Amino acid sequence: MLKYNFKYELKQLLRSRWIQLLSALLLSLFGFATYNGLEKVDERNKAIATAQGNVLKNDERMMKLLDSLDRGLEVSIPSWRYPTNPMEIGNNYPRVAAMPTEPFAFVATGQSDMFTHYKKPEVYGFSFIEDFTEMTSPVQLLFGSFDLAFVIVYLLPLLIIAFSYNVLSAERESGSLRLLGAQPIRIETWVLQKLGLRLLWLSLLVIATLLLVLLVLGINPFNNLNTLLGLISLVLVYELFWFALAFLINLWVGQSAKNAMALLGLWIVFVLLVPSVINQMGSTLYATPSRVLMINEMRDTQADVLKNVDEILNNFLRDHPEYAVNDTTLQRNYWHNFMVAQKVIREELQPVLDNHDQQLKKQQDWVAQFKWISPAVITQEALNQMAGTSSRDYENFRQQVLDFSEEWRNHFMPMVYNNADFTMEDLENLPQFEYMPLKGTPISAPLTVLGFSLFVYLLGVFVYGRKSKDSILTTV
Amino acid sequence: MIAKTFLKETKQLLRDGRVRIAMIMVFSLLGIAVWISTRQYQNVNEQYAMAKTAERAIWDSQGEKNPHSAAHYGTYAFKPKYPLSLIDQGVDKYAGTSIFLEAHNRNEAQFSAAADQTGLARFGDLTPDFILLFIIPLLIILLGYNSFTKEREMGTLTLLKSQGISSFKWIWGKWLALITPIFSITFVLFLIAGLVLSNLKDFGVFNWNTIIVMFLVYIVFYAVFINIVLVISARAKKSGISLVLGLGVWIVACLLAPKMATNIAQVKHPYPTAQEFAEAVQEDKDKGLDGHNPWNEEAQELERAVLAEYGVDSLSQLPFNFDGYIMQKGEEHQAEVYFKHYNYLKKQYGKQTQVYQTLAVLSPFLPTRFLSMSLANTDYGTHWHFNDAAEKYRIATQKFLNDHFAESTEYGDWGWKADASYWKELPQFDYDPPTLASTLSQNTSNVALLGGWFVLSFGLLFLTVKIK
Repeated sequence: MLKYNFKYELKQLLRSRWIQLLSALLLSLFGFATYNGLEKVDERNKAIATAQGNVLKNDERMMKLLDSLDRGLEVSIPSWRYPTNPMEIGNNYPRVAAMPTEPFAFVATGQSDMFTHYKKPEVYGFSFIEDFTEMTSPVQLLFGSFDLAFVIVYLLPLLIIAFSYNVLSAERESGSLRLLGAQPIRIETWVLQKLGLRLLWLSLLVIATLLLVLLVLGINPFNNLNTLLGLISLVLVYELFWFALAFLINLWVGQSAKNAMALLGLWIVFVLLVPSVINQMGSTLYATPSRVLMINEMRDTQADVLKNVDEILNNFLRDHPEYAVNDTTLQRNYWHNFMVAQKVIREELQPVLDNHDQQLKKQQDWVAQFKWISPAVITQEALNQMAGTSSRDYENFRQQVLDFSEEWRNHFMPMVYNNADFTMEDLENLPQFEYMPLKGTPISAPLTVLGFSLFVYLLGVFVYGRKSKDSILTTV
Repeated sequence: MIAKTFLKETKQLLRDGRVRIAMIMVFSLLGIAVWISTRQYQNVNEQYAMAKTAERAIWDSQGEKNPHSAAHYGTYAFKPKYPLSLIDQGVDKYAGTSIFLEAHNRNEAQFSAAADQTGLARFGDLTPDFILLFIIPLLIILLGYNSFTKEREMGTLTLLKSQGISSFKWIWGKWLALITPIFSITFVLFLIAGLVLSNLKDFGVFNWNTIIVMFLVYIVFYAVFINIVLVISARAKKSGISLVLGLGVWIVACLLAPKMATNIAQVKHPYPTAQEFAEAVQEDKDKGLDGHNPWNEEAQELERAVLAEYGVDSLSQLPFNFDGYIMQKGEEHQAEVYFKHYNYLKKQYGKQTQVYQTLAVLSPFLPTRFLSMSLANTDYGTHWHFNDAAEKYRIATQKFLNDHFAESTEYGDWGWKADASYWKELPQFDYDPPTLASTLSQNTSNVALLGGWFVLSFGLLFLTVKIK
């Protein structure tokens, strides 16, 4: 029976031009989305490369200046901008702390349109709460990006719904179900086979178009075989989930139009409502402390510290004799005060900032706890992680940049307090930033969606078992 | 006949279990959405009031200080939340809320809510605008997809023909039956929102006119959607096909078009990255006058010009402190640089807007979305407006401080400190959002696009639908 079913389905799908239509749709959607993704990746790489190029150029200029100053030549800049002053290097010759793209970054825009991909930490600055957001029109953030993740998470289910909402009801409505009733096959097995075959064709089309699009657009997906397999298996189980839902609804509901509505309702629940409700509950229960009030606190601390900066500096130097001005002149300048004031303000603000991070962590834990309610959420998050554009990735980057900033500041501390000059040899010893990406994509995501699909399938079998058999053949 | 068709259709809808369930769901979702948004609105406004007062207190109590130190110490401008954000949150979640106002630099608004939430925030929020813009159009499809197809499927079309009803009356009857429930839901929502807002304590900027205009925008949007659904229903052979086509229109209009527009706009008219922008600004700043650098070429030129103007031969003979004067001039140069670069951003955004408006041909959703945000003062335009106001205040503040320094001291007297009471004399930063009239005049193209959809869809409806 499976063989007949297979032949009949394939013929039907080809003659109703479903397969042709689906191929064209998938090709254009995947093509446009991948193109967009690559475009974004390109933009990001270029920006980082330019920034790094500028650093090199600046360094060359600095070397020339240092060389001229060393040889006692006249230079065209005011004395307080001489690169022999370590503070000049700390403020005006920053290094680039960049987050390079991962091989599959084109898959999901994720948070990449919102957060910056490179920073240049400087020593100077009164903004103690670093902002890592990118300069993007908020309208673009609101509408979001047309990327592969969008096609997979939002549109693929809709295609599946259109592809499968009436497999049973159409047979009933056209009268062919009575003929089928005479065949030696159970209705649910038959629906399962029919849906299974459609799943098979759709999956083949999805994989083929995806690979084709990638190869045409100049990406060799086999270079990262693990990620590619992860991506494909994720897409397949996500498809499976929606087919399982279609199975359930086909057996449960009845009329074509009602089926379509029920499936669409479920799509709204899983794709639109559940994510926003989880997010809103998370951000209400574990609200991150108000940024504006945090600014107040920062300003208060800053005001207190600046009023007593001399005293604080004295105390600091008593506690840290290694920083006491060591040259014979014992001269103190603006930077001595500044560095210590900044250090104290940062230390005092740390609990406030930590509190903020903790709340965000709690929100993330909350989301992790409840995201399994919607396979759409799981899939989107997993795709973001694959692309290295999830919140976690940007959090990781932020933390590394903050650590690097501190390293950068601390590097200049002893020079400032020893009134030491910056020399050409010091250039090599400047701290460098290297981004350490998060490791591996968890396989829990596809497994969870798989479990979810199995549950829905069993529910379908159960529902069918409870139904009076007469009603399946006739109208519901 | 219009009335009879209307009554029959309405009765049919009321008796349909699906419709009842859908209506109950929409109402409960709306209830939740309004409740969440009200809480959020009150919460944010309380924080805003607190932060504003506290920041001003910090500024006022700086104690004795050199005015230029105060300028570097700076102050913050906070963006308030407007009453109609209760209905449409617009881009508020993605726009920063506080701007640091300091000497020499124009800073971007910092700290958007979305950046402080998990990645799920990008899925959207359960807010009234989500229901109004996404769910109610779906409800229209659900209510109307079989308006005409069912007559054919149930065989009532033949009966109808024998009644001698004109196509025109038939269409109107069906149309009214569809708009009535939608109108009622929307009306109740806006009425509740209006009542809630006028009962909140600080409803200073709220006015009923704006909410009425906003209500009309949505009704026009729904009318367009009803027309599309009816045209599809009249042309489709089967109810099922009509439903799928209707959903297709919804997907294209509400999901695909906005995202496509975003990608096209980004590729064709990109913004610089924050770092690139900062570098470009720095480069232009370096080309001009630097108030802190007397060796700067422009500074020397200015010095000569001022000496010549006052007929003296050294800076200390001037009737004011040249340090303060040159700093103010430097500040003015920097403000100009920022003005130029921010104008570039605005121009880019203007071009992006044109992309959105071009794609509005595919989607009546787009002009509605933009109009609704604008009216609620939660759009990007208002954000710019606020930014510009803050910048104006920043420039005025710098002048206030530099002039005081120039007038009260003598050349070279950097150690001088202004009186502790002086800071209170700085006027407060007060911001008024755009008025209804200016919002509408800024949105003429969106009004025209939505109006175009309205007229064309009605034309299409009456031209294509015939009893046959």
